[in-house]
Amino acid sequence: MEFLENARFFMPMLLEGALVTIQIAFLSLALSTVLGLTLALMRLSSLRILYVPAVTIITVLRGVPILVQLMYIYFVFPEIGIELSAFSAGWIGLGVAFSAYHAENFRAAILSVDRGQYEAALSIGMGKVRLMSRIILPQAVRIALPPYGNIAIMMLKDSSLASTITVAELTRSGQLIASSTFMNMTVFTLVALIYLAMSLPVSALNSWLERRFSAK
Amino acid sequence: MIKVKEVSKSFGEVEVLKSMSFTVARGEVVCLIGPSGSGKSTMLRCVNGLEYYDTGFISVDDMKVDVRSKEIGSVRAEVGMVFQRFNLFPHMTALENIIEGPTQVRKRPKPEARDEAMALLHKVGLSHLANSYPSQLSGGQQQRVAIARALAMKPRAMLFDEPTSALDPETVGDVLSVVEELAREGMTMLVVTHEMGFASEVANRVLFLDHGEILEQGPPSEILKNPQNERTRDFLQRVLHPGEKVL
Repeated sequence: MEFLENARFFMPMLLEGALVTIQIAFLSLALSTVLGLTLALMRLSSLRILYVPAVTIITVLRGVPILVQLMYIYFVFPEIGIELSAFSAGWIGLGVAFSAYHAENFRAAILSVDRGQYEAALSIGMGKVRLMSRIILPQAVRIALPPYGNIAIMMLKDSSLASTITVAELTRSGQLIASSTFMNMTVFTLVALIYLAMSLPVSALNSWLERRFSAK
Repeated sequence: MIKVKEVSKSFGEVEVLKSMSFTVARGEVVCLIGPSGSGKSTMLRCVNGLEYYDTGFISVDDMKVDVRSKEIGSVRAEVGMVFQRFNLFPHMTALENIIEGPTQVRKRPKPEARDEAMALLHKVGLSHLANSYPSQLSGGQQQRVAIARALAMKPRAMLFDEPTSALDPETVGDVLSVVEELAREGMTMLVVTHEMGFASEVANRVLFLDHGEILEQGPPSEILKNPQNERTRDFLQRVLHPGEKVL
């Protein structure tokens, strides 16, 4: 009973944090998807000027901890004249960091589409752009979806890393409340439950998409 | 119509085409036969610019086939290609497969392309399956849709790469009769096939390939019934009488 009473008291503050978490997760997912697809297509290109930078970027993003990348954007970038708010640094940093994982997923999905599909599309006179957008990507989407859902949930949870650069999202709200009330058990249980509650719709949405794309 | 002049191609050390030359006249049906690895599929794919060739010259209706040229797309659009494994687009219905080229590449209005596609589906005997997805069709039906897809581009010539090799025996006939019908209508065709019965009935000329060379060519009545070359005889013996021992 005491837990419920405390919960009712902390909930509004925690939900405010959760709202920020949702915003960060949503913005960084959108950014990382676009960047990831771009990197994947660059990496698959036969032009050195495209795939060498893509491989380099992916290697760096995967090899440096996301936490360090966030610190870099928030604390180092201002020294070279790029000043971002904590919130912007958070979602942009996460979006860039995760684009490498999306890129590798998209690349694998595109490569798994049968060679014959390329040849059939070429044989009716399609150019590269139409071949990709009309024939290959629609088929790759179906293959990429299950891992995409995994990455999306990872991003939702890893948005908590933004707490380290002072973004007032869910984890940071929890930390602030806990450190002033010492009710660690209550606060962090609530935080965990809210993360879980947010991840469920993402899973559901993804399985719905998977069903829709595999119906044919 | 189709000119192949001294075309050579190597995969690394292996020379798959050795200075090959032949022509296919307008309205002619030419079959390429030969053992696997003889270069017949590679030759066919070079004609459609799906494969590079190292030296020589290929043209279709006086358009040069050059993979590196910017116009290769428009050359491919003029040459229909039918694959061994159909290669229909699995995320599109039969009808959508057929109108994809006309609407996307030729920029034809959709209703018009749709009417023509329905006519083509009727021609290959599948108008009742227009809205089916490839996964819902048998191999023979898929291959007939693939032929309709190639024809929808109104090609000047058609290339077939072992169109019946991946089919169940009972559906082979449906596909071959569509190809025969095209031959009767005067379509220029280059066909890689193992169906000797089809070759002897439909082809004007048969080319026997082995190790990237044309060993023998002529009307099917000569090549298939009375081959001069020993390797041709050997091959035909094995294809036509697979059970028997070859001495």
